[in-house]
Amino acid sequence: MTQAAALLRTHLYDRRRSVWAWGIPLGLMSAFIVAIFPSVEDSISKAVQGYPQGLKEAFGIGQLTNVEQYLQAEMLSLIVPLALGYLAVRAIASGLSGAAETGRLDVLLSAPVSRRRLVLAGFLATAVELAAVLLVTGALTGLGSILAGAGLDAGDAAAGFANVWPLALLFAGLGVVATGFSLRSSVVTGSVAGVLVGMYVVDLIGKLDPDLDGLRYLSVFKYYGNAIEDGIDPLAFAGVTAAACLLAALGAWLFERRDLAA
Amino acid sequence: MTSQPAIETEALSKRYGRHRGIEDVTFAVQPGEVFGFLGPNGAGKTTTIRTLLDLIHPTSGSARLFGLDSRRDSVAIRSRLGNLPGDFGFGREATGRRAVELLGRLRGLDRTGRAEELAKRFRADLDRPLGQLSRGNRQKVGLILATFHRPELLILDEPTSGLDPLMQEEFLDLVAEERDRGCAVFLSSHELDEVQRVCDRVGIVRGGRLVAVERIADLLGKARRRFAVELADPAGLERLRSLDGVADLELAGNRATFTAGGDLDAVVRELAGHHVLDLEATHPSLEEVFLGYYDEGEAA
Repeated sequence: MTQAAALLRTHLYDRRRSVWAWGIPLGLMSAFIVAIFPSVEDSISKAVQGYPQGLKEAFGIGQLTNVEQYLQAEMLSLIVPLALGYLAVRAIASGLSGAAETGRLDVLLSAPVSRRRLVLAGFLATAVELAAVLLVTGALTGLGSILAGAGLDAGDAAAGFANVWPLALLFAGLGVVATGFSLRSSVVTGSVAGVLVGMYVVDLIGKLDPDLDGLRYLSVFKYYGNAIEDGIDPLAFAGVTAAACLLAALGAWLFERRDLAA
Repeated sequence: MTSQPAIETEALSKRYGRHRGIEDVTFAVQPGEVFGFLGPNGAGKTTTIRTLLDLIHPTSGSARLFGLDSRRDSVAIRSRLGNLPGDFGFGREATGRRAVELLGRLRGLDRTGRAEELAKRFRADLDRPLGQLSRGNRQKVGLILATFHRPELLILDEPTSGLDPLMQEEFLDLVAEERDRGCAVFLSSHELDEVQRVCDRVGIVRGGRLVAVERIADLLGKARRRFAVELADPAGLERLRSLDGVADLELAGNRATFTAGGDLDAVVRELAGHHVLDLEATHPSLEEVFLGYYDEGEAA
């Protein structure tokens, strides 16, 4: 087994519980949203017609005439991306800053492994963890739809959940950059979680006020879109994934040059 | 094994902004040598070790391990050494066995059987999560991780911290065995007794600077010895005060205690002129020598 594979396996083993701890609650919540849609469909549609247009655009609601739109409005426009973005930072912080705090980093770096490899293995493990959480969430959502007869389109739902992955991965990349500056997991988690919420708010403001639309370029949420209805934008998906990888590479470079003080 | 020094530093310095870390630290450790690194907390021992391991980068100066540059060749160097950090940890949930397996894979080892032998020898439990182990039992796992791959250089920061006396003995035996097979050992410790027993040479670090590097025997030999003498007639004892090298003279009846360093010929000649009832000369322990360096430093 190569060094990278050994590190990846260890990261995944250490984070195994988080797949269930995050995937099951998010999946049950999504399943519940999908399952209740047939019974609330009429009242929701009427209520949404009364919402201000700007508000509907801001939250990506548009119309709520089908279960996919309802899932997008209730879960995929806010809760899932914010939750997965936070999970991504937590995973990076626990794998790198947390390892420094527990002393594990000193032991690992007594072995012939480069810091860059250590960081990139953590980033790769986070990418796998995010995919696994989204898979569990999506699977439970689909199960909820089947049990309730909600008629959720599996392909559309898969696109919607898959589209969260590059967005969340970007915050993992930012987490790696933060680790290049601080080895305290609370600082890494707090600072990047702040950026996550800040980007969401900036995007929201840009959507609500057309004069401030230019601000949205500061936020990765501009490139998130509405994949459950419009399908995945391959350019945005690849672009955000590439940006995440570049951030991770930058973070690895910074991490390699910093002192790992006791 | 190589004939090059296992460690060789040249004016190694590290500053943390305006704060001192280490300054102009120069020393070498040869293969098959056990080198003790002594100093109180904050003297710069851990900074030196972390610089050798490339965990922190020197402000100036250089460190070479096995002839390789500590920064540029860090990965190659670490393939040949074992390290026990001062505050060993690997996370609360991991077991020693998982740590051994991971470190074995990172070192490209197919077999980690020696870890089992060492676990048996140190009575270490590799199957319990480290968070459930006492400090001493965690330290045993750390020792196993540092030594199981038979490194050419062992860097040990406070290795016996938390170990019971039996395991401390076992540890000292292990260090002697490692030295006998040609492994260099760099041992940072507060336990001066164990340093005195196992080290060939020591470096004493004070205020970030290396103030002495000596063979232990030389260090103790050069140190002032303490004498207690009892004469039949105390009249001549006061004359000891005027002899070169004699200090701390205390008189009580026909008994005197004093310290003397350097050439003892004058002391012996003076005492020879009296009827000596009892004479006791003791070499100072390493601890007394060590404290002497610090007293001198504070006086300066």
